[in-house]
Amino acid sequence: MSSSARRAERSTADQWAAVPLTTETAPIDDVAAMKRILAVWRPHAPRLFVGLLLSVLAVLAGLAMMSGAGLRLAGAVLGAVVVTTAALRLVGGGRVLLRYSERLYAHDAMFRALATLRVWFFRSLASGAGAGLGFRRAGDLLSRLVSDVEALDGLYLRLLLPLAGACISFPVLLIALARANGLLAALVGALFVIAAFLAPALAARLSRESGDGLLRALAALRIDALDLIGGMREIRAFGAGGRMLERVQEANDTLVGRQTRLAARMALVGGVSQLCTQLAILFLLAAIVGAGFVRIPAVEGVGLLFLTLTAFEGVAGLTRAGMLAGAMGAAASRVVSAAGVSTTEELSVGSAETPSQTTLPTHFDIRFEAIGFRWASNRASVFEEFSLDIAEGSRVALLGASGAGKSTLSALLLKAVRPQNGRVLLGGVDIATIPDEWLRRRVAWLSQATHLFDDTIRSNLLLSNPDASEAALWRALDAAAISDFVRALPEGLDTWLGEGGVKVSGGQGRRIALARTLLADAPILVLDEPTTGLDATVEQEFLTTLNTVAAHRTVLLIAHRLTGVEELDRVWRISGGEATAATA
Amino acid sequence: MTQSKEATRTWVRAQARRGLRAARPSIALGVFSGLAGAAQMWCAAWLLGQALTAAETSEAPAMSASSDVWRALIAFAALGALRIAVGIGGETLAARASARARTRLRGEVLGAITEGGPALLRQTHSGALAALVVDRIEALDGYFARWAPASVLWMAVPCCLLALVALAQPRAAVVLAICGAAVPVLQAVFGIGAAVASRNQFLAMTRLQARFLDRIRGIATIVLAGRAEDEAARLAEAADDLRRRTMKILRVAFLSSASIDIAMIVALIVIAVMDGHAALAAVHDGASADFASFVARSLFALLIVPEFFAPFRGLALAYQDRAHIQGAATDILALPPPPPLSEALPIRTVEAHGVTIAFEDVSFSWDASRGQALDHVSFVVPAGETVVLAGPSGSGKSTIMELLLGFARPDSGRITFNGADLATVVPDALAKMTSWIGQRPVLFAGTIRENILFSRPDATDEDLASAVRASAVDRFLAELPQGLETRIGEGGFGLSGGQAQRIAIARAYLKNAPILLLDEPTAHLDPMTEADVFESLRRLALKRTVLLASHSTAVHMFNGRRVDLSHGRVKIRQGVA
Repeated sequence: MSSSARRAERSTADQWAAVPLTTETAPIDDVAAMKRILAVWRPHAPRLFVGLLLSVLAVLAGLAMMSGAGLRLAGAVLGAVVVTTAALRLVGGGRVLLRYSERLYAHDAMFRALATLRVWFFRSLASGAGAGLGFRRAGDLLSRLVSDVEALDGLYLRLLLPLAGACISFPVLLIALARANGLLAALVGALFVIAAFLAPALAARLSRESGDGLLRALAALRIDALDLIGGMREIRAFGAGGRMLERVQEANDTLVGRQTRLAARMALVGGVSQLCTQLAILFLLAAIVGAGFVRIPAVEGVGLLFLTLTAFEGVAGLTRAGMLAGAMGAAASRVVSAAGVSTTEELSVGSAETPSQTTLPTHFDIRFEAIGFRWASNRASVFEEFSLDIAEGSRVALLGASGAGKSTLSALLLKAVRPQNGRVLLGGVDIATIPDEWLRRRVAWLSQATHLFDDTIRSNLLLSNPDASEAALWRALDAAAISDFVRALPEGLDTWLGEGGVKVSGGQGRRIALARTLLADAPILVLDEPTTGLDATVEQEFLTTLNTVAAHRTVLLIAHRLTGVEELDRVWRISGGEATAATA
Repeated sequence: MTQSKEATRTWVRAQARRGLRAARPSIALGVFSGLAGAAQMWCAAWLLGQALTAAETSEAPAMSASSDVWRALIAFAALGALRIAVGIGGETLAARASARARTRLRGEVLGAITEGGPALLRQTHSGALAALVVDRIEALDGYFARWAPASVLWMAVPCCLLALVALAQPRAAVVLAICGAAVPVLQAVFGIGAAVASRNQFLAMTRLQARFLDRIRGIATIVLAGRAEDEAARLAEAADDLRRRTMKILRVAFLSSASIDIAMIVALIVIAVMDGHAALAAVHDGASADFASFVARSLFALLIVPEFFAPFRGLALAYQDRAHIQGAATDILALPPPPPLSEALPIRTVEAHGVTIAFEDVSFSWDASRGQALDHVSFVVPAGETVVLAGPSGSGKSTIMELLLGFARPDSGRITFNGADLATVVPDALAKMTSWIGQRPVLFAGTIRENILFSRPDATDEDLASAVRASAVDRFLAELPQGLETRIGEGGFGLSGGQAQRIAIARAYLKNAPILLLDEPTAHLDPMTEADVFESLRRLALKRTVLLASHSTAVHMFNGRRVDLSHGRVKIRQGVA
């Protein structure tokens, strides 16, 4: 096992154990992060490449057309050539059309890649998030997804594309100028190098720090705003409105202060690039009138002037993009590290590489076999050599005090953690070889931490079984003794539950979560203290209903105590790392 | 609907006025920069004219340049440097104006949100509200920094330049005027579409954000249901929807900038062709004396064309920034207006010792379609006593708490503290009198110390230490890596439910308020922890007026008085008047 995998595993274990030791892993360096992101974008490589090609083509066409137009215009003023309207229309119209389609195509390609990045981010997070978010704050993650991912569009559109254009237009400009005047070519070429390559590189280095700080300031503001909004009850109750407002204001001041400083720097760096352009024009004018340079023919000079203007115009945005490159690097490293922290490499690799041809269980007897487990190497072990058999279709209660390891057993069974010793067998198959999703669709889980989503009741239910019929939904609601309530709602199943189920009372919300678990077409139900927060009457009603509705399923009821209405086959008391049979 | 549209328009107009006032310095600099640009182009045109006519008439070529030429070159360079400096200044000033405007708006929105209180969360997702505070207002950066100056400059600069061109080359001025006038027409056609599209896009973005935050909060539920792939697919759909919407706007935006390109190219062609013919005629006539000046003027008219259209381009780029303010206006105005202070009634504070709470025939409903949450409820909590509110979930216990905290007002009837109507009590005084502990305390980003001090930031170390002891927080401090300085994350991850509840109790001890409201404080605790927490609460309850909503059987620890609720009605009163 690599050391990073071990570290990652430890951090997941810590999250589950609710005593995180580390808050952040070391930041990943920018280049590595960018490479990782480019790897995520690989499926879009053809589109992105075509976009690049189109953009280079547009640059070349622009150069050719504009220098040609310059020659013709100069000639026209002299009366040497009569410019035909048709020729000019071709020049102008062609350029407008090319630019329009190039920008459209490149942007579309970029947004496709960004959508992929968003989903990849969610997936990476999900592959290690069995135990909740831990220390990484939801607000921070939100900010990462939206701001950081969006900041990354600049990587391709504002950096890669113009850089490719600059690489093409540089030799063209240099050759054209060198033919007319060597000194002029050297001077303008140097200016071009400054504007297109040196200034952006310098800007990127300068802004690395401020870019990172800017994103952090934005994230801090978002966290403070979420604290203020989510904690409004506490804030009101403790009369802390003023203080919390001040905190948000401070975060705001930090943010806009940084932004203003960055804007001033951007303006300065933009000025450098303008200065290069102005100097290049000045040199060309001087060469045309023969001041300080060997005079170049006037008509040809005007053509070169147009060429130079077009070339510099193409790289005008690069210096500013360079300023953003720092921020982009920071964004990339944050996105990758946020996604990476929770990726238990072992787990994700395990699930990705689990070949589908592995034998899947054909029955659902559960067997814990000589399990040795501790949450972290520096903590006492929960189990040394724990064994337990649960037959398919049996109804079993696991009782025990807090910390006895009841929930650890459900975590082990769901593959949220893996044992250091021994194995968990499902139908005789080691669950380490079973794909996570396959397993988790057959082991439905309900605990205190079960989340209700800000969505309709219907969507919340369908989460556990997207193909469930309307009748099945109502059956599940009946079983959870909540159907009457839902039926009485004006919008019924399509009632919006609100954030964390805020629009229904605590007990009602729990019963909806119960209905969701029952709806899962899973042969095994793990109910981890499912009646916490329900009043005694409803609790007994529910447990009674469970006796009938969960027939033919294995039921694992984890609780502190029994109420007496449960019909159980076995009752195990978990303590001291062992299961002892108790009377039902 | 029309009324809200009117309100939106009024609000936007007010913001526009303030934005314009703040943008005045940048506007002045922008006009100045335009004029300097014209002067620069005149220098360039004159120089090119010299060179071209020299080439035509084959006068003495080579290295020598007249002092006039040198002067023009120096003027060109100086004007260029000036323009750059002015540009940097204008941009910096605009950024400052935008920073000030956003700070002001954010303050207003936060004020409205804190006014609205927790009731707001019943209608709006906290993610959506945070997006309003952070992103909606950040999106207005462009409105204040770019749109406000551009909205004046696009008219001012071309008009100035047109006047100058008219002096040099009247025919070219006519062409420019016609092409320039065509731009606003095209802009109007495309711009309206862009505004509409942008509003939709913003909706899509807010939706995506709220969805993601919610999915992240419940990611354990998704993962353990084996549905991570489904959710990822749905997120992909949402992201794809966002891309399509964004592309819709960009298509319009690119089209609108292409239309400016077209107007510019038409102007260039017409002027070049016209002057080409004129030049041809002039050469044939052999009027060489005026020839140099004619060429210079023609070139000036040509060179000024890009300068003439640049402000249009600036406006087109800023047009989307303008759309953001419409969206922001809708959301900001959707926040509840500050509640009217009860008129005529004296705003008062209540004697803080020994408070008697009385509900007198109180009715309330959150939402007319869901029926009454409280239906003519009356009971009294005598000073210094504890009353248990019992009843199944949904019977109205939480509503009573919300009313007592002042988050909502009774629809009818009244609530009194020592006989004073709650509606007449200053919110600050109310907050000072009450401590509240709910099912799950919200723990803020920061250390445990900061979270306890939250209830009284100026508390001394001794007060803090005794609150920590009284609440039994000290029992688990030793297990934490940094004791009181341990940082805790959003939702208090890293602490168990019992530990988080103890922090809430420590807050209440530290605050030492005469009224204690306990809303199912042990709902998420196991029986052993529950007994422990109740024991701490019982000690905290001594000599305070306490209302405890709970359906736990363990509440018998709190002797005697009890009100049973069912469907928002009082069923049984025990020991309560």
